[in-house]
Amino acid sequence: MAEIEVSNISKVFGRRDVLRDVEFAVEEGGFLSIMGPNGAGKTTTLRILATLLTPTSGSVRVAGLNLSDDPMPVRRVIGFISHQPLLYPDLTAYENLRFYAEMYGVPDRERRIAELLDRVELSHRRYDQVRTFSKGMTQRLAIARALVHRPRVLLLDEPYSGLDPHAVDILDGLLAEIRAEHTFVMVSHSISKTLELSDQVLIMDGGRIVFRQSGTVDEGHFAAVYREHVSEGVTI
Amino acid sequence: MEGVAAPVVAPGLHTTMWRQLYVVVKKDVVNELRTKEMLLSMFLFVVLAMVIFHFAFSVRAHTDLTYFTGGMLWVTFIFGALLGLNRSFAHEKDEGCLDGLLLCPVDRVTIFLAKMIGNLIFLLVIQALAVPVFSLFFVSRSYLSDLPAFLAVLLLADLGVCSVGTLLATISMNTKARDLLLPIVFLPLIIPVLIAATLATTAIFAQTASLGSLGSKLLFLAAYDGIFMLAAYGTYDYALGE
Repeated sequence: MAEIEVSNISKVFGRRDVLRDVEFAVEEGGFLSIMGPNGAGKTTTLRILATLLTPTSGSVRVAGLNLSDDPMPVRRVIGFISHQPLLYPDLTAYENLRFYAEMYGVPDRERRIAELLDRVELSHRRYDQVRTFSKGMTQRLAIARALVHRPRVLLLDEPYSGLDPHAVDILDGLLAEIRAEHTFVMVSHSISKTLELSDQVLIMDGGRIVFRQSGTVDEGHFAAVYREHVSEGVTI
Repeated sequence: MEGVAAPVVAPGLHTTMWRQLYVVVKKDVVNELRTKEMLLSMFLFVVLAMVIFHFAFSVRAHTDLTYFTGGMLWVTFIFGALLGLNRSFAHEKDEGCLDGLLLCPVDRVTIFLAKMIGNLIFLLVIQALAVPVFSLFFVSRSYLSDLPAFLAVLLLADLGVCSVGTLLATISMNTKARDLLLPIVFLPLIIPVLIAATLATTAIFAQTASLGSLGSKLLFLAAYDGIFMLAAYGTYDYALGE
């Protein structure tokens, strides 16, 4: 059974069709990337997978669980890294991780928090307020936040956006380390990162999937297809 | 590195609604104690309102203001609470933290209760500071014998203010004009609480409260609280919106 199964989902905001019959599946341990121009429906798709939005029609299964039946167990297996850190700036790094660890009911919290702070190289700033962190440090802490409950599925919404080179290296290292044991869905504008990490790529435009490719993807061909749909802002 | 890639299947997460409720309230209290955004603005407003009332009603020396005290007190508290309610979701929304909270395996009603309890704590803190000052300025008779009744009125009226206010603050946070929308929808709905709390408080301050009339006011406030908590229970998922 696929770890993520999206069946003909549509989403309407007011009179606007944001998603139309989107369908894909990601096997356990797979890495799917979604690309496309702004307003293509990528983030909406990701937010539906994260249970932050409900589809107008269609169904979504994550880890064998139907999102519409009961989103609560699905939330336990999902980690979400967004370009927004989802951290409280007036709390310390430790307090933020502790808050999320307690909300998820993580066992052996102190050890888990220490491991993650160590891994994202923020142990020395654990008692500092997030407000005092640089953008890169905040994003590294956001990565630790998303991993605190050991999710099976990681949803990444433009995770490299605004990162400094050091934070990019740490995120690359973390993704490489956990790649085999997790299932990923990433929204990105970077062709090189997408092709480097993914075993399945989708291009969305106007709320539909207009291109899909599994396995090895030829970078030149992919870039050409991508340019057809995105006239500007293509990063390779 | 150990642990980052460690168990990935069924990690044995376990928590309860009460634990999550406590964790969100604790987070809000710690956050507020650090920023003091709500507490400071509410406290300053309440004190300034009392000073203004003092001058506005001091037309003649030794004027007995006893029969205005309930109204003055509750108008001050309701507008003060409004300032806090407006801020209660601001840090969640502005920093995108609401998504982080909604991603957690937490029932939406637990979020409502936690936010409501947080607002209630802040309002009670302000009242604990403001009521003695108010009594000094405006109340000429001792009401120590009726203190338990007064505390019951405070608590039940505050519950009403915070349950309606939290629900409406949640709805209005998703709108562009949230600072304007909240008072427009909150103030008409809170009028029943204002009337009951004002009548009961004035009777206590004037030493004219009978057990029967006070009991009916408290019963009314309790019923109001119950109705709006039930309404929040049924609608909070939609109130949080998408």
